[in-house]
Amino acid sequence: MTTAAAEIEDGLGTLAGTGKILRFQLRRSRMFLFWWIAGIAGFTWMVVPVIADQYTTEAERVGFAATMSSPAMLSMSGPVEYVHAYAESVGALFSHRMILWTCAMTAVMFVLLVTRLTRADEETSRSEVIRSLPIGRRADLAAALLVSAGAAVVLGGLLALAATGLDGGDGTSPLLFGAVHTAVGLVFASLTAVAAQLSENASTATGYGLAALGASVLFAGAGNAEGNWATWLSPIGWSQLTFVYTPEQRWWPLLVSLLVAVAAVLVAFTLVAHRDFGQGMFAARRGRAEAKPGLKSAGALTFRLTRGLIWTGAITLLLLGMAYGSVLGGADDFADGLSQAQKEILDRGGATLQLSFATTFISINAIVAALFGVLVVGRGRKEETVGRGELIAAGPVSRLGWPGTYLPAALFTATVTNLLGGLGLAAVGAGGDGDLFGKILIGTLVQLPAIWVLVAFVFAAFAWLPRAGWLRWLAWTWTLLVVYFGTLLNLPEWAMAVSPFDHLGNYPAEDFSAAALVVLTVIAAALAAFGYAGLRRRNLSFN
Amino acid sequence: MNAVIRTENLVKRFGHVTALDHLNLEVAQGETHGFLGPNGAGKSTTIRVLLGMLRSDEGRAELFGADPWKDAAELHRRLAYVPGDVALWPGLTGGETIDLLGRLRGGTDKGKRDELLERFDLDPRKKGRSYSKGNRQKVALVAAFAADVDLLLLDEPTSGLDPLMGAVFNECVKEAAAQGRTVLLSSHIMSEVEALCERVSIIRKGVIVETGSLAEMRHLSRSRLRATLKNPVRGLEDHEGVHDLAADGLDIDCTVDASALDDVLAQLAVAGVAGLTCEPPSLEQIFMRFYGDELAASGVHEGNGK
Repeated sequence: MTTAAAEIEDGLGTLAGTGKILRFQLRRSRMFLFWWIAGIAGFTWMVVPVIADQYTTEAERVGFAATMSSPAMLSMSGPVEYVHAYAESVGALFSHRMILWTCAMTAVMFVLLVTRLTRADEETSRSEVIRSLPIGRRADLAAALLVSAGAAVVLGGLLALAATGLDGGDGTSPLLFGAVHTAVGLVFASLTAVAAQLSENASTATGYGLAALGASVLFAGAGNAEGNWATWLSPIGWSQLTFVYTPEQRWWPLLVSLLVAVAAVLVAFTLVAHRDFGQGMFAARRGRAEAKPGLKSAGALTFRLTRGLIWTGAITLLLLGMAYGSVLGGADDFADGLSQAQKEILDRGGATLQLSFATTFISINAIVAALFGVLVVGRGRKEETVGRGELIAAGPVSRLGWPGTYLPAALFTATVTNLLGGLGLAAVGAGGDGDLFGKILIGTLVQLPAIWVLVAFVFAAFAWLPRAGWLRWLAWTWTLLVVYFGTLLNLPEWAMAVSPFDHLGNYPAEDFSAAALVVLTVIAAALAAFGYAGLRRRNLSFN
Repeated sequence: MNAVIRTENLVKRFGHVTALDHLNLEVAQGETHGFLGPNGAGKSTTIRVLLGMLRSDEGRAELFGADPWKDAAELHRRLAYVPGDVALWPGLTGGETIDLLGRLRGGTDKGKRDELLERFDLDPRKKGRSYSKGNRQKVALVAAFAADVDLLLLDEPTSGLDPLMGAVFNECVKEAAAQGRTVLLSSHIMSEVEALCERVSIIRKGVIVETGSLAEMRHLSRSRLRATLKNPVRGLEDHEGVHDLAADGLDIDCTVDASALDDVLAQLAVAGVAGLTCEPPSLEQIFMRFYGDELAASGVHEGNGK
């Protein structure tokens, strides 16, 4: 028997060359890895002292615990066990508030990383050249997973370092805080490795990965709000259930993460060896020989191309709204259990707890809805960078039609998804209370001018500075930061005012300002006009 | 003459790179015009300026007498374009893409569309992401040839097509020309241009270095002359119209300027001719003449392959 045959026989042959590919993959993704790791670790490193300074005394932390122990806040943070430890541990407060978000960011990073290194290369035939070398069939997947594992460990290490300044917990707490993120990274890397085998195109694989993340956040939120088993269905939940920095701190939930990661890796390796190069496990279907009658304009094409995204947004927001709604229903039961002092802390200008929560949920819905609008504009830019728009731009279509129709598509998406989020929240949360139902819907409508400003700004950025795609993300992330962390981080007034959502007032907890709504709508219209002017005068550059 | 395409001193810069450097191009109505140049010479940039996708920095570009930057949408009604590298929407089938592109112009002739699908042997039910490069190219070609337009802008349209489909493409271009359509065919495949185009422009580093009919160009270029003589001829190497002379006894092989042909032939006739061939230059040789220095820089000598 020849050596080559022997290697194939014992299964090592399919991994041949993993080391070489590993070096190559590390080299080409070094910027990606650097920015993501620096971003997540840097963000944490900056937030640690802010929170430590803000809640130095036990009294402050106990007061904050009252706010945070409502089901609504728990659904957007973590298990109640952390809240019980607020008094003795700043670390518990920090972990409770941050882990859901930093873990979600970590998950996004690893979904994108693994798709980049596997299916995206296969889809564009880049890895065809590599496969023609003496490289095993499983080697590129193995290399991608090794890069991911390394990145997860480095990220975890840096987060552990960032968390060392936190009081509370024991000596191993920072290490566990890092490991919590490493575990999430490993789970999502391996789940995405499976997703990359199922579909033959990278965007669908990324979609599967992000859907898994969405489900994780949803299950963790639902489980944490009610303190039930649903948290155990979520990879992010496993990390939260370590109760890091609390007296109940434990490592073993991370074993679940590890087992799931290993199982998913085995599945991915089995699948990759049982399919043809370039194919998915699901065969591509044949489509229509002729277009439907409606597909006859640039606008129709834009809506057709963003249809999937619109549906994803609609379903996400409806589920998100309903999930928050289920929490809202229990708000008053929760209030009954509070002491008078705690009630005073929670009091927002005399509004009931229920209305305060509704206000928070409405604004979170609005920002998530705006995200889908931002994504639609991103699709327009992608049509340009991959060169597909060239066929349309060469047709009798003005710049208003292409790529101009991405603005109405984005506005439509953000508006509809926001309304669906409000509807879900009102339907489940009002519990037959017609007055509350109406207030939630009005509160949802009040968000629209701010959403339009954000979307129109992103569109204008696409028109005038097409290469600065980061501007889209900066704008959206900033609004999220202001809504979620604005008061927590003590951001200066002007920095909050940059976000259009900051001017809406807190309806239904407080009044909204009709004048602000009019001004915001005018600003949105001005940004849209500015964007169209930019589209008319700039070059279209296709690859 | 009625020019469908006219550029005057067209300049386009991308940062520090000057892609078009005072380019003058003219294509008359009804002609099939070859646009020759290697990759990076500025062919695609010229076409994109003509399509109003890129804004010129200096000079003028005219399409049907109008400004393509200002009136892009209106002008596009009268033309069809095939890019050199067709990118399709991954989720749309070839058939859907062809119908969409046709409807943007106000509707497709279904009979013509189906006939072209047949001739190009294209399956319209496959999704954009699963077509090979050649098949993606076919989708754009079917959409373009099915359109009832006055002008076809074809940017290296046959890259990725097999020779059989290349032949179908040639037929389609000839039919379009017979119907009086104007065609701008950018290419670096000489045989294709030679077979289809009556006039040719050669672009180099953003400048048109030669333009004219193929017949004129041949006439103005050197012909290759080989002869077997009866007696030796003297002084040929000093003749200023004779180049690359190689003599092997009574056999001579050289290239001769068109203007010197009658003089050289007269001298040969005096010596007595046993055998003689005289070939006009191929388009490839004409083309290579403008790129002689670049070839030399890459270590290829101009005389090679002649």
